[in-house]
Amino acid sequence: MESTKFSWNKKIEQCVIPNEKGELKLNDEILVSNIRWFIVFRWAVIAALVIFQILTVFASDVLTQLGIIEQRNWPIILILVLSIANVSYIYRLDYCPPSKFNAPSINLWIQIIIDLICLSIVVHYIGSTATPAPFFYVLHITLACVFFSTRESLVVTIMVCIMYTILLLIENSLFSQAQQSVSTNSQLSEESINMRKILWVSVLDFLFLVVWYAISRLSIVVRTHQRQLIEAYKQINQVQTEKDQYALLMTHQLKSPLDAIRSKINLITAGYCGEASDETKNVLAKIDRRAKSMSALILDLLRLQRLKETCLDTAIFKAVDLETTINKCIDKLTPVINSKKITANLSLDNFIFRGIPDQLEILLENIISNAITYSHKNTSIDIRSTIDKPNNSANISITDHGIGIEKKELPNIFNEYFYSPRASLHNSSSSGIGLSIVKTAAENNKLQINVDSEPGLGTTFTVIFKNIQLPDEKM
Amino acid sequence: MTQRIAHVDDDVDIRDAVKCILSTNGYEVDSYLTMEDFINSFEDESRFPDLAILDVMVESMDAGLTTYAQIHKRFPSLQIIFLTSLGDMIRPYFENESNEWVCIIEKPVEPASLLSIIHDRLETPQSSTSTS
Repeated sequence: MESTKFSWNKKIEQCVIPNEKGELKLNDEILVSNIRWFIVFRWAVIAALVIFQILTVFASDVLTQLGIIEQRNWPIILILVLSIANVSYIYRLDYCPPSKFNAPSINLWIQIIIDLICLSIVVHYIGSTATPAPFFYVLHITLACVFFSTRESLVVTIMVCIMYTILLLIENSLFSQAQQSVSTNSQLSEESINMRKILWVSVLDFLFLVVWYAISRLSIVVRTHQRQLIEAYKQINQVQTEKDQYALLMTHQLKSPLDAIRSKINLITAGYCGEASDETKNVLAKIDRRAKSMSALILDLLRLQRLKETCLDTAIFKAVDLETTINKCIDKLTPVINSKKITANLSLDNFIFRGIPDQLEILLENIISNAITYSHKNTSIDIRSTIDKPNNSANISITDHGIGIEKKELPNIFNEYFYSPRASLHNSSSSGIGLSIVKTAAENNKLQINVDSEPGLGTTFTVIFKNIQLPDEKM
Repeated sequence: MTQRIAHVDDDVDIRDAVKCILSTNGYEVDSYLTMEDFINSFEDESRFPDLAILDVMVESMDAGLTTYAQIHKRFPSLQIIFLTSLGDMIRPYFENESNEWVCIIEKPVEPASLLSIIHDRLETPQSSTSTS
């Protein structure tokens, strides 16, 4: 018996671009993901402070030589403050329901304010003019420009300027008091230090504003492009809807005449137009078969197009009861099953799979329909489901005892319009895209399909469902 | 009393086929070319149908669906069947709850199955009917 495994990994396309709300700024989903990143980043800063604290104990001389004011307690206080803040951010994010006062932007604002205060303490103790520590303010301005609107990021920049200025003013007054108490004849030195501080405040505040201006301009450009993308996405959606309506209309227009022809044929064969000869009925059956084949192809084309255009970001995935789905398919196919005098043997262990409900139904209906189509009359088809609890997966196998598939044809059966002369001989009304529909539905629902076949003996299609749940478990 | 069935379809051949089948089997059939004609027929109470068969794409893409929504609101007990070339392809257009009991038959018209569904619908109250 020849066996082939098929699995398709459809790349999830980013179909949804974040919605804009009011001003040009990022949506909550992106803010939350970045808040989480900040929290991780803050843990790294806390780790750095721990290392710094260890250095103040074991290498204080080196720090003093680098111009860092030795003060043993501030890193511990900052570590505590930042750790408590980080834990509370996580708590607000994960355990408090979103509300007006617990929005991601408020969370981010609180983070920025606390971080700025902590940074000012670090700048003060490490050296506000002697080390490059004040340049870390730039990081906050940059992040504010990225995550907030231009006006909000300007507020952050002004806060930075004020904090740095106040810090230097406080340091200056402390320094003056210290100088006065220690020495009274160091006027020159004090003036030079004052000048140095004024220079630092002026240059750095100017730098902060320049950085804000440059980055917020860039940010506006990026967000304008984002807005254009949103517009383009809306237009694509609109075109997509129109395209689907057009496809629906074309399908209807193409199929309607065939339906009218076949309805008239049905009237004649059912005896509503008087008695028809066997020869007439025979000819009508042939006409009907060809018309049916064309109708099936028209509908399958529309079905395949819709499946291919499924956007995995917007498709509605639901918990699907597979036993109910299979029974629904069997109900639909009962007339065909009866007409071919086929016995359907069902042995189902029910399970729940999270997928796109109508697509799962199309997938199973097509495979079962194929099993019936390619079975010989008076045979049986077996539909069996097995659950693999340890691996949290399940299989549904559909076995027929029909014509089977040749080894060389097996790898191509899921290709669109694949033509097998043997299969066509058995079923001349095949549209040739039934298994392409199965493939696309499997792709969209992340399913794997194994096909085992022996020409002349039959075929088994096994659909493998991963991450299943049992009916008594909540999904 | 003879049961009355209203049928709306813009395809004359389908209208004729349905009328032929149903009349032969003892139903009174009123065929309409447009949904508007059908809705106007409600003014004559003597012609109020026991069941309505609607095409979906008559005049516009969704005339059948909008008429269905309109009629269902006014006469919730009136049985309605959709007879459409698109078959189940129109199912996504129904709300979840109505999706369970809306009856959709795919064209072509097959006398035996059409009669069986109509018989079933007329015998069973709407709330307990299932999909076809």
